[in-house]
Amino acid sequence: MADGKVSDFTQFREGVVDNNPVLVQLLGMCPALAVSNTLENAIVMGGAATFVVVMSNLVTSLLRHQIKPHVRILIFTLTISTFVTIADLFLRAHLFDVSRKLGPFVPLIIVNCMIISRAEVVAIRNGLKRSLADAFGIGVGFTLALSVVGVIREILGSGTLLNYPVTPAAFEPHLWIIMVLPPGAFLTLGVIIGIVNYVRQRDRKGGAA
Amino acid sequence: MKKFVEESWLVLVMGIGFALLLAGTQAALQGRIHENQREATRQAIAEVLPGVATTEQREVEGYQVYEGFDDQGRLLGWVIEGSGTGFVDRITLVVGLDVDKTRITGVKVTSNVETPGLGNKIEDAAWIGQFEGLDAERRVDITMAAPDRDDNKVQAITGATLSSVYTADIVNAILDTVRPKLEAP
Repeated sequence: MADGKVSDFTQFREGVVDNNPVLVQLLGMCPALAVSNTLENAIVMGGAATFVVVMSNLVTSLLRHQIKPHVRILIFTLTISTFVTIADLFLRAHLFDVSRKLGPFVPLIIVNCMIISRAEVVAIRNGLKRSLADAFGIGVGFTLALSVVGVIREILGSGTLLNYPVTPAAFEPHLWIIMVLPPGAFLTLGVIIGIVNYVRQRDRKGGAA
Repeated sequence: MKKFVEESWLVLVMGIGFALLLAGTQAALQGRIHENQREATRQAIAEVLPGVATTEQREVEGYQVYEGFDDQGRLLGWVIEGSGTGFVDRITLVVGLDVDKTRITGVKVTSNVETPGLGNKIEDAAWIGQFEGLDAERRVDITMAAPDRDDNKVQAITGATLSSVYTADIVNAILDTVRPKLEAP
């Protein structure tokens, strides 16, 4: 995946589609399940994680010749936790209401293996351009996956989208209360991953449906 | 020692660099973060004690108490902030009390992580509004049936009886502990 032949754009697209962190790699599942009950939460969470993965890949790639192999995990963790803290402070200062809803899940980006895996797999052995393309791809892919889950859960569970009512009056969101609760996250994500896998397998067989 | 420095200088340098970066970010943003929290408190006070113009903050029995004054400087009542155990985690709320300390002017939940869609309805005006106008000299009770205002009762949220009971418990604890100690300044 990280060999010299693929273009930076391919690296970006990999993260969004073929190697989507949530839907294909099944990484970053904790925030994908926990804060995808509304689209707003999903977008803000995706934005924060994108910022962190970009900064982490940036620092790792710039320092890749200085980092001694056996202290690399320590350095990744140090970098990631610094930028997660900055993202958390920024949200508390500028998006106070959303940051209260996200609660501990922004600080928990620190332990999101999706981010450390990009440092370990890509940034430590690639130049700046490639590492940034990869980080943006992963960030966008993560945000899109969370948003898809968020749209489905918010419409069915609350009858709203970005807090605006979107369903007809006859629709009773409280019958779908499970979509707001944790099981709704598992059901939605499970169905989406199932669809993604079905499509991928079909494509691999040469498009014969 | 030489080997130690050779192997770890980058970690040390990055540690110091990142610490400075964090300190700078914290210093730049903390004013705004505190302002956000104060603004949230101000809004909650204005909601539970309508007409309040200025407040005076003090501590009574470990609770934060805000004396509320109207724009003429007359005492309107008190707003007391308190927290207690909820169904999931702690619930924080403010209780408004009129100047005679006999009537609840309003209750607002300022922080909770109760179950979304069930327990977190305690923050909805439709539910918490039931506390408005209740007798502050008696216990507030939770009932399953249609509420009887004369009995100082509030109807529980369907599917979230415990969140409802815990919220009323916090209100009762505040009234029991703080109300007798309040005196017009």
